[in-house]
Amino acid sequence: MGVISTSREGSTPDAAARPMMPRVPLVKTAVFGAVVLLLILLVVQPFGWVLYNSFHDDLSGAWTLGNYARTFQSADLVEPLVNSLILAVATAVIAIGIGVPLAWLVSRTDMPFRRTIRVLTLTAFVTPSFIGATGWILLAAPNSGWLNALWRLVAGADAGPLLNIYSMAGAIFICGIYTVPYSFTMVSSALDEMAVELEDAAATLGSGTLRTMLSITIPLVTPAVIASFILSFIQGLTLFGVPAFLLTPTGIPVVTTKLAEFYQQFPPEIFMAAAYCMPLLLVTAMLFWMRRRILGRKQYVTISGKTRAGRQIHLGGARWPMFFAALLMPLFSVLLPYAALLLVSLTRAWGQGLSWENLSLYWYWWALFGNSETLTAIVNSLLFSTLGATLCIALGTVVAYIVERRMMPGARLLGAVATVPIIIPGIVLSVGFFAAYTRAPLNLYGTPMLLIAAFAATFLPIAYAHGGAILKGIGPDLERAARSLGAGEGRTFLSITVPLMGGGLVSGWFLVFIPIIRELSVAVFLITPKTNVMTTLIYNAKDGGNYEAVCAMSVLLLLMTLLLVAVARPLAQLTGARRTSRKAAEAAGVVPA
Amino acid sequence: MSGIRIKNLRKSFGSYTALHGIDLQVPNGTLLALLGPSGCGKSTTLQLLAGFEAPTEGEIWADDVLLSSSRGVLPPEKRGISLVFQNYAVWPHKTVAENVAFGLAIRRLPKAEIAERLDRALRTVRLEALRDRYPSELSGGQQQRVALARALAVEPRILLLDEPLSNLDAHLREEMRFEIRQVHDLLGITTVYVTHDQSEALVTADRIAVMKSGHLQQLSSPEEIFERPSNAFVAKFIGANNELIGTSEGQGAIRVGDRVLTAPDRSGAERGGGVSLCVRPSQVRLGESGRDADPGIPCNVLPGTILRSAYLGEYRDVLVDVGGERTLRAFVPPSQCYGPGTAVTVHLPIEACQILDPAA
Repeated sequence: MGVISTSREGSTPDAAARPMMPRVPLVKTAVFGAVVLLLILLVVQPFGWVLYNSFHDDLSGAWTLGNYARTFQSADLVEPLVNSLILAVATAVIAIGIGVPLAWLVSRTDMPFRRTIRVLTLTAFVTPSFIGATGWILLAAPNSGWLNALWRLVAGADAGPLLNIYSMAGAIFICGIYTVPYSFTMVSSALDEMAVELEDAAATLGSGTLRTMLSITIPLVTPAVIASFILSFIQGLTLFGVPAFLLTPTGIPVVTTKLAEFYQQFPPEIFMAAAYCMPLLLVTAMLFWMRRRILGRKQYVTISGKTRAGRQIHLGGARWPMFFAALLMPLFSVLLPYAALLLVSLTRAWGQGLSWENLSLYWYWWALFGNSETLTAIVNSLLFSTLGATLCIALGTVVAYIVERRMMPGARLLGAVATVPIIIPGIVLSVGFFAAYTRAPLNLYGTPMLLIAAFAATFLPIAYAHGGAILKGIGPDLERAARSLGAGEGRTFLSITVPLMGGGLVSGWFLVFIPIIRELSVAVFLITPKTNVMTTLIYNAKDGGNYEAVCAMSVLLLLMTLLLVAVARPLAQLTGARRTSRKAAEAAGVVPA
Repeated sequence: MSGIRIKNLRKSFGSYTALHGIDLQVPNGTLLALLGPSGCGKSTTLQLLAGFEAPTEGEIWADDVLLSSSRGVLPPEKRGISLVFQNYAVWPHKTVAENVAFGLAIRRLPKAEIAERLDRALRTVRLEALRDRYPSELSGGQQQRVALARALAVEPRILLLDEPLSNLDAHLREEMRFEIRQVHDLLGITTVYVTHDQSEALVTADRIAVMKSGHLQQLSSPEEIFERPSNAFVAKFIGANNELIGTSEGQGAIRVGDRVLTAPDRSGAERGGGVSLCVRPSQVRLGESGRDADPGIPCNVLPGTILRSAYLGEYRDVLVDVGGERTLRAFVPPSQCYGPGTAVTVHLPIEACQILDPAA
């Protein structure tokens, strides 16, 4: 074997034989270098700029702590902070309060139409929350809202409005129902994967169904519940579109809208804005620290190797009442708002009321052919989301691999860097990208690259966490086997690890793609007319008050996304039906037995 | 094929030392079993041999090629060493044939040769009929054979087996033992076989290395290990064993309680030092108390009381209390039936006893 080093024992007793690798691992070094460079470009640099800017004065450019002082001293800056916290806590409470029971009903009971509820809930996940807010403006604006109009028919013309979406309660409602899909998905998959034996063991010890649920099932999904609480909290804290649509008109400021104000006022106070988002980062960082404290040493192994489906709990007479209760969620988040959007999008002029003469496909024609902007935005949305999701999932997976297999010193630091964006509100990241890449040497302003990079950076934590979760399930022996047969590290990764991640990578790609295509706040300061995407186009059109166009474009965006998801789901399931049955995977160490 | 030489191999993980300087020689073409309880360092040794870990100190040579030292490690893929894993590590996304042919494809061999070597490897482990199956459609034993074929197809210089049978059921395990030995006889590849099962080691190995807490205890042939264990730990680990702990009364004598017993002495102890008397249960003979049941060979004789007796068909497994909180196990003919509490005389044939360094 010529490749093995040829040092002979004894020939040079002192000059030690060095069994080093026969060649410098160029590819490996290059890949690691690229990963580190990408993380610096996508996370460290934009975030570094935000941090750096926060200590500078907007007018003089000198170093200062004044921005921070102002954040906590000026009353009109403290109020948005308080409002944001209220919104975040309330959003998280709603997301858990609805999402967890809903997940349990769908995963564990014999409630009718469980699949339908699941699909509709996922449809809410695909919906950008600011579009949901638009739908609800149509439904529940104090004067013109259809539900209020209906109310006046019942209660009399001089009755006050039943609902007012332009309020803190309205914003909480919208943020809450569009965050439920997060908690629902996380908790229901935890329930789906939980070993039935754990519940059966309690049953054999004489524990009743309810007792088992309370003392075994619910505690076992605690990590998923806590994780979704934090994620929902962050959503409530960082959403921009909903408060901009619902709270700004009534003069209730939150942090994200205040940040936008700093940018859009004249002169802009960019450095002030940088300091002003720091309290948000602090709060989210603290939540993650608390989660670590709470979960601590408890090792929850909820995945077992068994395929048996969980036992269904029979609801008996409560089946239908439960179904109607569960239906409220899709009713509020999907059916009602989309009905409103669809109806408005099909009228030539909404103000003229519903009549056959007024019905028209004009705005769809207008959106697709009547102006060049929408078509450009559709193409951009698809292109940027595809490229952004691909970059994001590729980088996230490679980082997860390096961390999971401890392939280089300081690997954990890479993982930490890849996780940082989760605590940065999109609007702040947007600001960071703006600061970092609108100057030499990397002036990307106006290029698609800027948006693709910002999208990839925003959702890198999801890709990284997802990649890590899949890799944890793939026993390192499967890779070592390839190494011992002569495959190098790169070859092993590509021909063993990646195919084994297979379907997981596809679903991970969609997990990133969907939030990107509906993302607004990251894009809002980075777009130019040429790089406009659907969400920013809709947002700006709404600002212009053209509701018919807004609705038509919203329906198009939703159809587009749903179509892609519908195509993708079978694709993800197709990969490896025969070959990765649970049994083999278990034997091979793909999942812990 | 190559012989293996391991020189003063040390491996530390932080403050924990897994291997305390191991020296091992595996002559070309032999099958060495690395035997020991969990945590003895046998798996660490295997990981070092395979090149997945770097030694803290010491060297590993394959013939005259330095594979590992504290200064550098030849990566696993360059070693020509195949490894069969405890959990098989058969890739679930590849068919049997694809699994086995993987290493051949890596070597960029001509198609015809790949096909030929694939067939030969599958034939060796009798898997020709299952070549297009996915691992999910195979039993545990079949997956194990895929792993073996995959390791053999590349014609490695050295084959490493990491507890290859521990995930199989008892019946299959017995069958696969002989199969592994048969394959070794056929191909003659230098093999290191890690196991904690002594009977696996005895059946398959030419040489057995017994390890404990990172130290090599003994390296000998299976017969030598069983008949002349170098200390009480080895005696206890290979086969059933009785150990009476006492102190040395000079060469060839041991004081146990208030008695002095004699036996061939292979301990290194001075008079008064701690030693153990080891004797296999199959060598212990029992006679009824009072009656002369002299077996006709020189014996150490102790009085005892039966504690329990279990009938195992071919023999009885009897536990005898010999006083001073000490017990002895004896395998006696089924015809010798004693109830608990029966007083007996215990005969320990001197030539079957050994005075050794104690286990602990």
